[in-house]
Amino acid sequence: MKMMMGSSFPEEVLEHVFSFIERDKDRNAISTVCQSWYEIERWSRRRVFVGNCYAVSPAILIKRFPDVRCLELKGKPHFADFNLVPEGWGAYVAPWIAAASSAYPWLEEIRLKRMVIPDDSLELISKSFKNFKVLVLSSCEGFSTEGLAAIAANCRNLRELDLRESEVEDLNQSSGHWLSHFPDNYTSLVSLNIACLNSDVSFTALERLVGRCPNLRTLRLNRAVPLDRLAILLRRAPQLVELGTGEASDLRPDVLSNLSGAFSRLTSLNLSYAATIQSSDLIKLVSQCQNLQKLWVLDYIEDLGLEALAASCKDLRELRVFPSEPFGVEPNVLLTEQGLVSVSEGCPKLHSVLYFCRQMSNDALRTIARNRPNMTRFRLCIIEPRTPDYLTLESLDMGFGAIVEHCKDLRRLSLSGLLTDRVFEYIGTYGKKLEMLSVAFAGDSDLGLHHILSGCENLRKLEIRDCPFGDKALLANAAKLETMRSLWMSSCSVSFGACKLLGQKMPMLNVEVIDERGPPDSRPESCPVEKLYIYRTVSGPRLDMPGFVWTKDEDSALGLS
Amino acid sequence: MELQLGLALPSNPTSKAFDLNYYGIEANSKEVDHVIGPCYTPSYENINDIINIDNNNNNKRSFGQAFENSTRDRVVPRTLPLLLWNNNRPNEEDDPKDLENHSLFAANKNVGDGDGVVGWPPIKSWRKRLCHENQVVRAWNNNLMVENGYVCGGRRASNSMYVKVKMEGVVIARKVDLSQHHSFETLTDTLMDMFRKSCEKNSNNYKLIYQDREGDWLFAQDVPWRTFIRSVQRLKLLKSSG
Repeated sequence: MKMMMGSSFPEEVLEHVFSFIERDKDRNAISTVCQSWYEIERWSRRRVFVGNCYAVSPAILIKRFPDVRCLELKGKPHFADFNLVPEGWGAYVAPWIAAASSAYPWLEEIRLKRMVIPDDSLELISKSFKNFKVLVLSSCEGFSTEGLAAIAANCRNLRELDLRESEVEDLNQSSGHWLSHFPDNYTSLVSLNIACLNSDVSFTALERLVGRCPNLRTLRLNRAVPLDRLAILLRRAPQLVELGTGEASDLRPDVLSNLSGAFSRLTSLNLSYAATIQSSDLIKLVSQCQNLQKLWVLDYIEDLGLEALAASCKDLRELRVFPSEPFGVEPNVLLTEQGLVSVSEGCPKLHSVLYFCRQMSNDALRTIARNRPNMTRFRLCIIEPRTPDYLTLESLDMGFGAIVEHCKDLRRLSLSGLLTDRVFEYIGTYGKKLEMLSVAFAGDSDLGLHHILSGCENLRKLEIRDCPFGDKALLANAAKLETMRSLWMSSCSVSFGACKLLGQKMPMLNVEVIDERGPPDSRPESCPVEKLYIYRTVSGPRLDMPGFVWTKDEDSALGLS
Repeated sequence: MELQLGLALPSNPTSKAFDLNYYGIEANSKEVDHVIGPCYTPSYENINDIINIDNNNNNKRSFGQAFENSTRDRVVPRTLPLLLWNNNRPNEEDDPKDLENHSLFAANKNVGDGDGVVGWPPIKSWRKRLCHENQVVRAWNNNLMVENGYVCGGRRASNSMYVKVKMEGVVIARKVDLSQHHSFETLTDTLMDMFRKSCEKNSNNYKLIYQDREGDWLFAQDVPWRTFIRSVQRLKLLKSSG
């Protein structure tokens, strides 16, 4: 059968068939059928996703896939978002851009997450890829408005520029506003996200840009654009369907009513910076957005607002509620578990939740689980660590247990509150589709970690902080780590000795000990490491490690450098 | 939970001896048949979606073929765990105190600079900055409303904005509510009043410095009030020289 297929279908036909196969998993499967399919597939793969930039090298990538058009790379571990990864850890994209600039002249899309990208690389991108269309820099850093100016000036075919949550240095003074570097005959913008920029935006340049780009659908602006100006933009670009506001300090009722027509078209609304909207105005606003699928909002919305949301927005798929005063001890708003329960009852398509609150109960979690068995991403952050069920003062094991039991398609879960080893038993038993798990201040013993590693078959990313997990569970499940993308453990009880052992015995893993206290072998081997980052790789130990990262020394069998 | 180390014979359950050379090579040996506990055959289906390895090796590419540059033997053996998990009675040799000490050690390490635990709650830095600024703005707005005769009813919003103040040479720090001030004059007056008993009378003998969001210490009078109020984390009064 295989031989017949190999000889009777010319390559062009196979290539055409393969062009309909898009998912990486499927393409990987095709490539294992036989040598000729492998070859045809690798020459025709256009889209590559590298979930950990240190798992593979640019050279290996280019050798395997010679004609990539869309490249996506991720760098630092997720907990870098919360300052748990020291500055200078790595994730430098420059070598990738340099390699791509000569190997992939037809590259159209670059998507980076948690990587360091200098202005030089941005300039190289703008000059190397004639057909460059999409640049997404998510939580990246290392660049300034100079780099953006280069992109604006040189990328004639740019469709999408998305700087979501990146840190951008403002050097506008020197070169004039970067937005005005888009040439006058540039009209292809479809999506612009500059919400993270701290500096002022030239409103004239923005207005002219918006005015000459008829295909503009998504606009996310930074704090410097007041809402009445936003109204002007909306009138210039009536085809907008996604909108994010800046500082909404001007959100007066009259401004709101002028915009009401526009709001009803919105499918995605991000109000998570807008601090000064009163709860009642929020409710009015949200009630007008009947087509809303995604809402990011501050907890000023309160339980009442979420109830209104549940009543008006029947198409809601994703909800994120951020804390307005995360460091306050007392609650400053009337937002409790009830808000989330309301939304889970009223919005049948809700499947992705990020919710910060100060109290939770097992009852509420059970209700949410039963209401929404279609939940795929559930991230709950009860602000005070180890907070018990406020009604019964018990742990929240049963509540989270209900979530994993009923939500059979759950792919991502973040835990909080008072939790014992038992919750991990539930997760290991029921979380069969779970791909990413975040754990903090939870568990009693190694048994907790053992349940996760031995039970969750599809686990790809595990991140743990401040849990009493140590060597035993980790070493007992060492082989599991090769089936995952990465494991992060900080402020746990994994000893340096165990790290050494893992590093020696598992050649396919990079075991990085991140410790700012100095060389780990200046302390006893039983001493727990500060932070541990383990990931599988085919390119061996990385060569750009800073002084505070230790890993096995390739030359010496037992020593660690 | 009683733990057995991977390749020690079952008759020697408490031995911690571990022959490093033995691991991973004799995967078919008899001792291993007695091994209980989870054994994983690594499945590489998910490696970043760009690497293909099939462990069956039937006319399929081994790792070695796929990546000619690699010098290691990439035919991956069935790996064994380095420890076995044996669900018997608890191992009394485990000293729970050690674990606790380690956790405590870890927990202490985690305490941020008077801000509580580092990286908790898990919100991104720019959101934290925003929260701080928003607090100020709301306090401001609420104060303005009160001054103009409006009453903020109903909400349990906290309007105050307390920051710590230390005076050089004074042991005990104070706290001041910055939301009550709109200029450096009123602020320094209030501060000097607070520390009246502990310091020299003349406010010209002290310089006010503040720590901003990035952790840097700056002279308060060098920046406009608006800039100061948006980024101040704490205050210090330094004795002027001379």
